[in-house]
Amino acid sequence: MATIDSLSSESETHDEHGHDHDHPAWLAHHFDTPEQQFDSGKLGIWLFLVTEVLFFSGMFCAYAMFRMLRPEVFEGCSQFLNTKLGAINTGVLLFSSLTMAWAVRCAQTEEYKKLVVMIASTLSCAMVFLGVKSIEYSHKWGMGLLPPGSYFYDEANPHPTAQQIVDQHGFSESAAYFLTHSLYFLCAPFLILLIGVAIWAVYSKVTDKQFQYACAKPLLVVCLSFFGGVGLGMILESGGGEHAVAHVDGEHAGDHGDADHAHADHSHDAPAEVAATHAVPAFDIESDDAAIELLAESELNTGARAMLEAKQAQAEMATGQIVAAGVEADLGIHRIEQDVQTKRQAGVFFGIYYCMTGVHAIHILGGIGVLVWLLIRSIRQDFNRQYFGPVDYVGLYWHLVDLIWIYLFPLLYLIR
Amino acid sequence: MSTSTISRDPGYPTDRENYLTNSSGILSWMFTLDHKRIGLMYLIGVMTAFAVGGLLALGIRLHLLDPEGWMFTGAEANNIYNQVFTLHGAIMVFLFIIPSVPAALGNFLVPVMLGAKDVAFPRLNLSSFYLWCFGAIFFVSALFSSGLDTGWTFYTPYSTTTDTSVILATLGAFILGFSSIFTGLNFIVTINTMRPPGMTWFKMPLFLWATYATSIIQVLATPVLGITLLLLIAERTMHVGIFDPEFNGDPVTYQHFFWFYSHPAVYIMILPAFGIISELISVHSHKHIFGYRFIAYSSIAIALLGFLVWGHHMFTSGMSSLTTIIFSALTFTVSVPSAIKVFNWLATMYKGSISLTTPMCYAISFIFLFTIGGLTGLFLGTLATDLHLHDTYFVVAHFHYVMVGGTLIAFLGGVFHWWPKMVGKMYNESHGRIASLLVFLGFNGTFLPQFVLGSRGMPRRYATYDPEFAFLHQMSTYGALLLGCGLLYAFIVLMLSLAKGRRAPANPWGGATLEWACTSPPPYYNFERPPVVGDPYDFHNIEWDAKEEKYISTEPERKLVPEETPGQVPAHH
Amino acid sequence: MTPVLTNLMRPMPFLADVEDSFWFPKQASSFASEVDWVYDFILYICVAFFVPMMAFMLWTMIKYTKKKGEKAESQVTHNTPLELAWSIGPSVLLVWMFVQGSISYLDMRTPPEGSYDVGVTAFKWGWTMDYGAGTFHPELHIVKDEPTKLSMRSTDVIHSLYIPAFRAKKDIVPGRYNYMWFKPTVASEKVSDEELAKAKKQSEGSDGWDYDKYQFTPDGYTFFDLYCAEYCGTNHSQMQTVVVVHETQEELQAWIKANSSRPEDQTPAEWGQLLYNRRGCSGCHSNDGSKLVGPSFKELYGSTHALAAGSDITVTDNYIRESIIDPKAKVVAGYQPVMPSYKGQLSDDDIASIIAYLQSLSSNVAEPAAAAAE
Repeated sequence: MATIDSLSSESETHDEHGHDHDHPAWLAHHFDTPEQQFDSGKLGIWLFLVTEVLFFSGMFCAYAMFRMLRPEVFEGCSQFLNTKLGAINTGVLLFSSLTMAWAVRCAQTEEYKKLVVMIASTLSCAMVFLGVKSIEYSHKWGMGLLPPGSYFYDEANPHPTAQQIVDQHGFSESAAYFLTHSLYFLCAPFLILLIGVAIWAVYSKVTDKQFQYACAKPLLVVCLSFFGGVGLGMILESGGGEHAVAHVDGEHAGDHGDADHAHADHSHDAPAEVAATHAVPAFDIESDDAAIELLAESELNTGARAMLEAKQAQAEMATGQIVAAGVEADLGIHRIEQDVQTKRQAGVFFGIYYCMTGVHAIHILGGIGVLVWLLIRSIRQDFNRQYFGPVDYVGLYWHLVDLIWIYLFPLLYLIR
Repeated sequence: MSTSTISRDPGYPTDRENYLTNSSGILSWMFTLDHKRIGLMYLIGVMTAFAVGGLLALGIRLHLLDPEGWMFTGAEANNIYNQVFTLHGAIMVFLFIIPSVPAALGNFLVPVMLGAKDVAFPRLNLSSFYLWCFGAIFFVSALFSSGLDTGWTFYTPYSTTTDTSVILATLGAFILGFSSIFTGLNFIVTINTMRPPGMTWFKMPLFLWATYATSIIQVLATPVLGITLLLLIAERTMHVGIFDPEFNGDPVTYQHFFWFYSHPAVYIMILPAFGIISELISVHSHKHIFGYRFIAYSSIAIALLGFLVWGHHMFTSGMSSLTTIIFSALTFTVSVPSAIKVFNWLATMYKGSISLTTPMCYAISFIFLFTIGGLTGLFLGTLATDLHLHDTYFVVAHFHYVMVGGTLIAFLGGVFHWWPKMVGKMYNESHGRIASLLVFLGFNGTFLPQFVLGSRGMPRRYATYDPEFAFLHQMSTYGALLLGCGLLYAFIVLMLSLAKGRRAPANPWGGATLEWACTSPPPYYNFERPPVVGDPYDFHNIEWDAKEEKYISTEPERKLVPEETPGQVPAHH
Repeated sequence: MTPVLTNLMRPMPFLADVEDSFWFPKQASSFASEVDWVYDFILYICVAFFVPMMAFMLWTMIKYTKKKGEKAESQVTHNTPLELAWSIGPSVLLVWMFVQGSISYLDMRTPPEGSYDVGVTAFKWGWTMDYGAGTFHPELHIVKDEPTKLSMRSTDVIHSLYIPAFRAKKDIVPGRYNYMWFKPTVASEKVSDEELAKAKKQSEGSDGWDYDKYQFTPDGYTFFDLYCAEYCGTNHSQMQTVVVVHETQEELQAWIKANSSRPEDQTPAEWGQLLYNRRGCSGCHSNDGSKLVGPSFKELYGSTHALAAGSDITVTDNYIRESIIDPKAKVVAGYQPVMPSYKGQLSDDDIASIIAYLQSLSSNVAEPAAAAAE
């Protein structure tokens, strides 16, 4: 109607183009019908999700390749990840997907109050997720479970002080301080946010700005839930934390088949630590001239060599030598175990771990951004049964972020 | 026939309608959501980038005038040369060729050809322009901080160990990647949902088919580049050990990741050029395009096959023999759809009524140059000869024939073809033709000798070279100077048209696609209501009006489809 | 590959190039004639397509260029059989190209049993060929008609070994071994003694031997160029060496023997200078005081530098020895730890010679001795 009207009149009326009362405010001027707008948006978001999947696929490929090349590293290292925390995060995200889907439904049925509640709870879940994640990260950073460039984990002293990190591992003092106090650094921005939102809420309440107060209230809850997540993570990491470390040690001991595991750890840590602290030569194998010759003759590269090692390890596992307790640890396994602990080996696992979970966390942050925007718009009651596209699109995005985590969790935490 | 129907011509736009003048002030451009203005800003941007990249190219050629290096001297000569060729490559690829046709011409043309008012997501469109600007700023800052000397491919471990500003440049490329993704996403949605009544898939102009195929690649391939560059940055800053052998990574993995994007990217560059040429040949021969469906399908075929052949950049890097042979076989399959297009263009010209306008001159030189570029690709796809020719000047010549002889020439042809539509002015035809001839001769002078250089064993990316190659290198340099003059000439022709050009009629060439049905330049809303369209290559009803020097349509007015009333039907069923 | 197939695909004589053609450098390996033949055949196919197509285009352009407004003679939209024909027809030729290329490729990938093996180390920016028994040399010396296999590794970034005359190329990727092989078919010639003596006299005083100028090696052999074909940084274009093909195995052994260790009549400092040029030190360490990738050797011996780790170090015999064997242990501040280890590649005498050479470049030789005595 609108377009035809403006058509039939002369060019002077073109200024009113798209401002006609028949063309609702939420229908962009270049679309003819709400369906066209909705379908365009839907196709657009699906295409965007395709790019997201491909974006992550690069890292899944990297994961698959390195897992194939060095399965023993992945086995040895995934036990440093706290399965409980991962499982909780999975649950939290799954729940947030539910609330998100519910939010879409509420937007369609124009139940505004419920819509706000649903979006706010989705946001809170996202915050809890990040809170738990920051506990996981800071815990690992303190232990030196880092990418190969800065990896310094030392089994004899898993929680070094800042001074030790500086002295033993050659870090600068500020870096060491950051590593040992990383939880505070991670929480600081959220704390500032919380304070900001709290002030905003109080201010808008005092000055009686209804709409602003309506926005600030749920956001305050959202910000608080980050610290809820931190608290939850802390309880599990410290309460179960000692347990987790003991558990790890226990497993190591089991691997070595050595009853006196503390002693064993100390004895075989020394060379591993030397390897970790020394500048790594260009070729790990160069100390072993015989190996080089073997390589040169057998036309294998280092990648293939690692595969061979992995196969050996697997064969040994199949014979039950690794899992069977009480069996004398033979030198081969011992050596592999040491390899896993070095910078170049374990570091790669953590390199991939941080890349994948880090990029995922960035997506969560992005999701939080758009969800806040949605929250404010839904408080403003922008959506109706004909125009709920944005809620739907953000919902799809949120489900994808959730889905990616559903893949990350077993790949990194569970498969051993 | 023409007596029984009324001749139709939209006339000229008033200042209030003209998209260039309907609002003024710098802010009206910076915050515009009008796809035409965004396209024009893109055009200015990519042309600036092209000028910078072109000057760098001249620097390269001048340096190679002498075996010991002529242009850059002193202890840092080699470093400067390495930075110059790296930036030439990076700027040309990321800032010029990839956005040239899709973002600049595509933005202007896609909605107009569709008879739509705008692209589906105008804000996203503007943001992809600004992302392009940010990316460009990153590149420029890389240039001014400590340069970049990795080659545009950023191969590890060189890129993880060099002390030049790799991070700035890769961040720039990362951002440009998103700019490209958003443009592609926008076009796919626009073409899918906003076609006018009567325009079925097989009544779309071929430029739209090409743009659609390009957009598919942009959306599917570019994210992989994004993650690759992100991992490269992570590798450089945190040593995550994925690509760097020092930390147990594998450089060949990087090459796989990189070429998985960058080979399809080659088709991002050339497919829109195919689209332009299909339009140009048909319009300026005033004859129906020959084999519409084959051309349309071959675009899609190239887009899909393009994803399977990345390995042919790595024949010498030590993949297994089987992988290498499979990639070689797949590579040959891509050449078939490209050949189909060339044959179809030749058949379109046959028995046409050719006007040798400037755009047509570019289209004809495109066919000549692209055929050479395509045929020399066969030498590189064949394994035995590739082992000899890989990373030599033969490769350099081959891809310049495709990228410059193909994309750049098509881009120039497209700019000359749609220039009257974009700015509403006609340029001087004879000067335009002379410029195109200079470009053609200069280009061949530059790159033909490089085929011989390559097959005689001259490796690429050499700052100095053995004296026996000097003669051919010098020939190439003089050719480059001529090419530079030709391009400058063409630029001056366009700029003069702005000042002195005749006012452009709505349809100066006799095209039948929708963009010629609105005024030159188009009104800001393009079409008052969705036009109804027929065959975009039906020239029966286009007549030449010699008095006014323009083409007019004598087609009877089509019936309009009744519009649905908005606001009655729910969006969600 | 099955021999029958390869025999069928043998280069036909009328297609093979004359030895030195317009398109190619000299054919000097068993691959060369095969590669050139494939190349020529593709070239002929391309010309056979290109010339008629362009002639047709020019003809249409001239014949059908008309005044504006004239209608086209035909408005035919398509002709499916014709289009199918030109889509499918040329594919046969493509299949042939693919098969021929792959067969030759498989030959080039599969080294025969019992090839003569040379180890190659590529580094920024030079080559070291390992002839076994502690003999290293930047030039590649091989024997005519003897299949030669190169086992290549890189100490820093990706390089690529390319010998145009052999039509052979292979990337050298750090972190893995890559292999290539070829069979040279043309031996290097020996230049006359007068010419060699003249060149030797000319090049005295300047450091290094100018291969481009003389077109023969310091031993008096003509050579084939060997390039690095994968971009590797600043001096990528100078990362060249030469291939010398000996007539007989004995000749090669004699050459290896002559280069294996310091000759009786050479002082350690002279031998050290030779090693400095030959083993790639000169790529990163100047001997005239200018700063390259690493510290200059001029006045280095006996000087004191701050280390990247913080403390100071005086350059003594021991420090030089340590820096050669474990270069990353003590890096002078302001330089990157990029030097590859030469452990196992230099004999004790070699290292002593290099130390002697460094001493000869420095004016404060006595001091570290005194420091050591303290």
